[in-house]
Amino acid sequence: MDFELSSEQKARRQMFFDACKALEPKKPATMIGTETVFTRDECWEFHLYCAKEFAKKNWLALGWPPEYGGTGDAMDRVFFAEARGYYGIPGVDIFGVGMLAPTLLAAASEEIKREFLPPIAKAEVMWCELWSEPNAGSDLAALSTTAIRKGDEYIINGQKTWNTGANRADWGFGVFKTDPAGRKHHNLTFILLDMKTPGITVRPIPYMYRESPFCEVYFDDVHVPAKNIVGQENEGWAVVNVLAGFERSGMGEVAAMDRILEEVVKFLNETKRGGQPLAKDPVIRNRIAQIACELEAARTLSYRIADLQNRNEMALMDASAAKIFYSELGERFAFTMMDILGPAGLIKFSKWAPMQGHWERAVQDCFVTTISMGTNEIQRNIIAWYGLGLPRMK
Amino acid sequence: MDLRFTEAQEILRKMARDFLTAECPKSLVRELEQSEKGYSPELWKKIAELGWMGLVIPEQYEGMGYTFQDLTVLMEEIGRNILPGPFVSTVTATFPILEAGTEEQKREFLPKIARGELILTTAFLEAEGTFSPSAITTSATAKGDNFVINGTKMFVEMAHVADYMVCAARTKSGVDAEKGISLFLVDARTPGIKCEVMPTIADDKLCEVRFENVPVPKKNLLGKLDEGWPIVRNFLRKGAIIKCAESIGAMQVCVEMTVAYSKERVQYDRPIGAFQALQHIMADMWTAMQTSRYIVYKVAWMESTGLPCQKEASMAKAYVNEAYKNIAKWAVRLHGAIGVTYDHDISLYYRRSKSADAAFGGTDFHREIVAQQIGLA
Repeated sequence: MDFELSSEQKARRQMFFDACKALEPKKPATMIGTETVFTRDECWEFHLYCAKEFAKKNWLALGWPPEYGGTGDAMDRVFFAEARGYYGIPGVDIFGVGMLAPTLLAAASEEIKREFLPPIAKAEVMWCELWSEPNAGSDLAALSTTAIRKGDEYIINGQKTWNTGANRADWGFGVFKTDPAGRKHHNLTFILLDMKTPGITVRPIPYMYRESPFCEVYFDDVHVPAKNIVGQENEGWAVVNVLAGFERSGMGEVAAMDRILEEVVKFLNETKRGGQPLAKDPVIRNRIAQIACELEAARTLSYRIADLQNRNEMALMDASAAKIFYSELGERFAFTMMDILGPAGLIKFSKWAPMQGHWERAVQDCFVTTISMGTNEIQRNIIAWYGLGLPRMK
Repeated sequence: MDLRFTEAQEILRKMARDFLTAECPKSLVRELEQSEKGYSPELWKKIAELGWMGLVIPEQYEGMGYTFQDLTVLMEEIGRNILPGPFVSTVTATFPILEAGTEEQKREFLPKIARGELILTTAFLEAEGTFSPSAITTSATAKGDNFVINGTKMFVEMAHVADYMVCAARTKSGVDAEKGISLFLVDARTPGIKCEVMPTIADDKLCEVRFENVPVPKKNLLGKLDEGWPIVRNFLRKGAIIKCAESIGAMQVCVEMTVAYSKERVQYDRPIGAFQALQHIMADMWTAMQTSRYIVYKVAWMESTGLPCQKEASMAKAYVNEAYKNIAKWAVRLHGAIGVTYDHDISLYYRRSKSADAAFGGTDFHREIVAQQIGLA
């Protein structure tokens, strides 16, 4: 067993870190956590700027096959995520680059791949995801928004919700019921659509901190070309499973916590209470050390997933475990810091806020990782049912 | 990067698993727990023949010349099966000899250890029970050709059957508690040594060892005079990793047994493993186990490669301590009342999750090291 990267991998990893470090000075001060990309105009502008910079290096097509303009391998994707996480740099469309592109590569027709992959690689089109509905969250297959085939078009009616960045996205991908009378799991189709199509209404939903990283999207007789589908008509559930099956190492999230831990150590060393640095308080030392230990555990599990991905092996249980672990570690980290900061932790980004108001934001943003991308409870089901072979709930 | 075991490690793992399954059943584990010696001399002889005690001893001293990482592979299997006796105490006591022993000491001790002819242990802790230099009050005073040791050591594992002890004693008092500690290779049968086995949760034969004017030949000073503490620190780091490797083996068994039991045990007309209340606990047990495995594999690789890894070793020990205790607790809970009985195997692991925590530094001890290592003032 060998954790050492090859000298070539080390050099490539450094290249990604250098590029992200160079972008960091241009980051707006108001960018606190990744969700502000969607809520604040200057942060979205910075996201687009970074995306164009990465596109120039062809880093939005890492791991794609060369015939579609790809470059690099699975480890490069891990290094790139790590570097962006550490420096808090956006620029990779989590929906287009992170979810849709690998889905297209695995499940779309040649024509669709040729049409939609290049604009993703060039950062010309930003995507949003149109999955959940008011009555279909974890049980996504229970969705009811219809797309009825009429000639060479689908006509969509209904409502989607929790659509992150839908107010900023150019295009959206989603699953829609194309055969209302059909059997569950064989009545849905995976459709790509232009968000400027007439009949689409996007309404931002205020998050608990009142900014709106996500939206609800209404469809009122929206006409979409029938060719814009991935996989077969009525077999969209299979495509959903392809997308859901792309395992994330969690390396970016871990790297982001690494960086913030470094800043926490600096803050605790510099901030005095009762005449001595907070860092001298044995309770604080113990609690921060616990976070550091758990972060190391999260990191080593991420290595494990990256190692499996690098050999094209499945990492289903590990990926679910990593998602549960790093997201709940994020929660614990934020709650711990709020305890340590006391009333100062309550202050939003302003001249009074310690650490730029990071923790006031983090205790609210932590739900983004625990609830989205398959809730942690669903991830526990995955481990129990598919990993440990326990009886599945009917 | 390749996080798979090598073929040789897989062979070692399989051989160890097959051997322990056949030679050290749980009936023997319970028998040894209740025995005075706490180990089986026949089994000790067999594992010596397999080369386990000499696994990381260089070939020139009749060892196998394997790596530290290989030893952790073996420890994981030992943790899975449970192997009562002086294996951990002997192997970890070998580290200071390998690190600081003179050529003469190495030639004297290492081949005998490798052959299974010497049982070793370390006498570092005292009444405070903490690996802190200020806790060492036992003294060693030069007198002629000897040092004379006086004091009381505690938590000395398997001292009652040991042939030699690596003992830490104060040879100089001063302002800096770390300076002035020396290590000695003490013949455990020297007159003046009195040893009593303490009854403990895992019946692992932790002893109180009293030294009353115990003469130790000067040639048995291990390392430099007054400069023994850095050796203890290295011992503690390596021992913590060894203990972690043993724990991750045990954790895997706890998860496997619990999942298997939950598929068999029927209540309300279905296996209890069908209930999500239990499924999510088992998913969490698996997650805690898997994170523990890789945090340990990484630091074992670092130690084996010679990279500085005090931070990672303390992170691993602090993390694994908590994970093992938690997994073992849930394993008992999910077994229900049968799990709390002496005759059920799961309780063997539960009791050991507590002793594993205390060995080579508890959670808070290692968290404090982590706090220093990450730069807290």
